[in-house]
Amino acid sequence: MKILVCVKQVYDSPDTLVFNESSGRVEFGSHTVFRMNRYDEYAVEEALRIRERITGVAVDAVSVGPDRVRKTIRRALEMGADHGIHIRTGCETDLDPLERAHLIASLARGRRYDLILTGVMAEDDMQSQVGGLLAGILGFTCATGIISLEMHGNPREILLEREIEGGRRECLTLGFPCVLTIQSGINTPRYPSLSHVLRARSEELELIEAPSPAPSPPLLSVKRFLLPEEGEKGEIITGTPGEKAARLLSILREHSLL
Amino acid sequence: MIETRCYVIALHDNGRVAEETYETAAFARRYVAADPCVVVLSGGGEIEPLAGRLADRTGLTVIGLAGDIVREYCAEAYTASLISFLRKKGNAFVCIPHTARGIDFAPQLSVGIGACCITAVEGAGEGTFIRSVYSGRFRSEVRPETPSAVLTVMPGAFKPEKGAMQGPGSVKIVPLRAFELSTKTRGTREAVHANMTLSRAEVVVSAGRGLGSAENLRLVEMLSGIFPKSAIGATRGVCDLGWLDYSHQIGTTGNTVAPRLYLACGISGAVQHVSGMKNSQLIVAINTDPDASIFRTAHFGIVEDLKVFIPLLVDMYREKHGDGDA
Ligand SMILES: Cc1cc2nc3c(=O)[nH]c(=O)nc-3n(C[C@H](O)[C@H](O)[C@H](O)COP(=O)(O)OP(=O)(O)OC[C@H]3O[C@@H](n4cnc5c(N)ncnc54)[C@H](O)[C@@H]3O)c2cc1C
Repeated sequence: MKILVCVKQVYDSPDTLVFNESSGRVEFGSHTVFRMNRYDEYAVEEALRIRERITGVAVDAVSVGPDRVRKTIRRALEMGADHGIHIRTGCETDLDPLERAHLIASLARGRRYDLILTGVMAEDDMQSQVGGLLAGILGFTCATGIISLEMHGNPREILLEREIEGGRRECLTLGFPCVLTIQSGINTPRYPSLSHVLRARSEELELIEAPSPAPSPPLLSVKRFLLPEEGEKGEIITGTPGEKAARLLSILREHSLL
Repeated sequence: MIETRCYVIALHDNGRVAEETYETAAFARRYVAADPCVVVLSGGGEIEPLAGRLADRTGLTVIGLAGDIVREYCAEAYTASLISFLRKKGNAFVCIPHTARGIDFAPQLSVGIGACCITAVEGAGEGTFIRSVYSGRFRSEVRPETPSAVLTVMPGAFKPEKGAMQGPGSVKIVPLRAFELSTKTRGTREAVHANMTLSRAEVVVSAGRGLGSAENLRLVEMLSGIFPKSAIGATRGVCDLGWLDYSHQIGTTGNTVAPRLYLACGISGAVQHVSGMKNSQLIVAINTDPDASIFRTAHFGIVEDLKVFIPLLVDMYREKHGDGDA
């Protein structure tokens, strides 16, 4: 069985992003550090667990982006993935999910993956689309928000639970090939072991250049970025820590909470 | 207003229309087309009452796609049925509630009908749609460059219209073609994590990843201890780390609470968390980051390190009240 895990690199903390007023764009700051999208860590872990349960499973990890994303592909190798693939794009800015999905689909088409895993959502663009788009392009079935996954013996199908509102679960069985988007909490992602870290260091990443310009024009354009809507902003309590604590206690007392 | 053909896909469960369907219909009418059609998919027995209820409440034309393959929700069946229905209709905007089910089939559907896909829409401009990005720090305004689009509409972002203004809409039932599915649905399971203590509590003190470590949970416990009838809540992030059991999780995929006081400690304020606590009577947030989204939900915000501030607050309370006097 061949598994492809899609991993995205995101900023570690959103408070390092800067809003460039003149261009109307959001840019990475000088302090921005990058890491693997958290939900994708659960996807990598789940692929590795399948490989541990079933013989003859190979796990590839792919990421789309500029050279910095190689670090995130390496992280997947350090966790234990067998092979890393970098689809290199020239631009530093984020592609839209469909462009990303087309790039991954053109890789996946020739390689006969049985299972493609992604995280349920990317923390940066929050689109939750690449998995479903890939399934649509490749003609695979798809299930999202997977919180339980079972496969036995020589599997023809996978038993799944998807998480829906209020923590309820939808139970289903899917045949292959399929795309699953993995919800956090399905497992506990492992820390890379030293032996895997050493192996990953010597492992070559497969490099695929994304065609430029993209073969098909994007279906939507980002006009601009905006700051969050100014709601009815609450009051930020100011003063020394002691003054803030005193004020908060008096507010709680006014509301008869203490 | 875009003035194009527009379809609103209704979602339902156990014979009940999801409220988000009405919000999505209101969004569609306001920003996409004056007279969208509502499309509902279900098995033969259920389709007429569902379609009837939708037509009564929205006043819009309702098309019921009826067949055994959509008796239960199934992404594969929904996608294929909607693609074959929509392909005959030409260019259209399709609006779907951004719920766990809506987002489960929206992207595939967009590929199938050659549309762009915009998820979690929470606002609109002139032919543009607005959604949150970068952990809710910013919003982006995007414009479809195709004559067809699939939009998923954020729950709670738009108010449903009050009753049909023009009397009930008409209903048309269209039978669906059956086909072999690779998916087998096996029903739903109730949440294992429902927590009565949380829903009954008058004060919920909630922990976020900003706690930094499981050991710091004692700070939250200490703070919770000064209130009678209090309980401890958490973000999904904290439960994923194993610091607290999932029964403490608050948000879309956890518990929903509306206590008299909600104290958010080290919580960034992601929409999925906020939707589970925003109806609390008084919301106070403690966070080191002055730009954290939670301060847009909170009535009172305190920009401090919780590791310093909570002990200070509790000490000050005890000095005034004497230990254990709560
Ligand atoms: C499909 C789906 C469903 C989801 N359902 C839920 C749900 O039901 N409930 C839920 O909560 N989440 C849910 N999430 C996850 C959600 O998107 C967020 O990732 C999560 O709520 C973030 O948790 P957090 O605020 O604890 O962590 P973070 O976002 O990491 O925020 C930590 C905060 O702590 C602050 N901080 C750091 N140090 C300190 C300090 N010393 N003192 C004070 N503040 C500090 C930081 O400034 C930051 O704002 C869901 C996500 C998806 C994709």
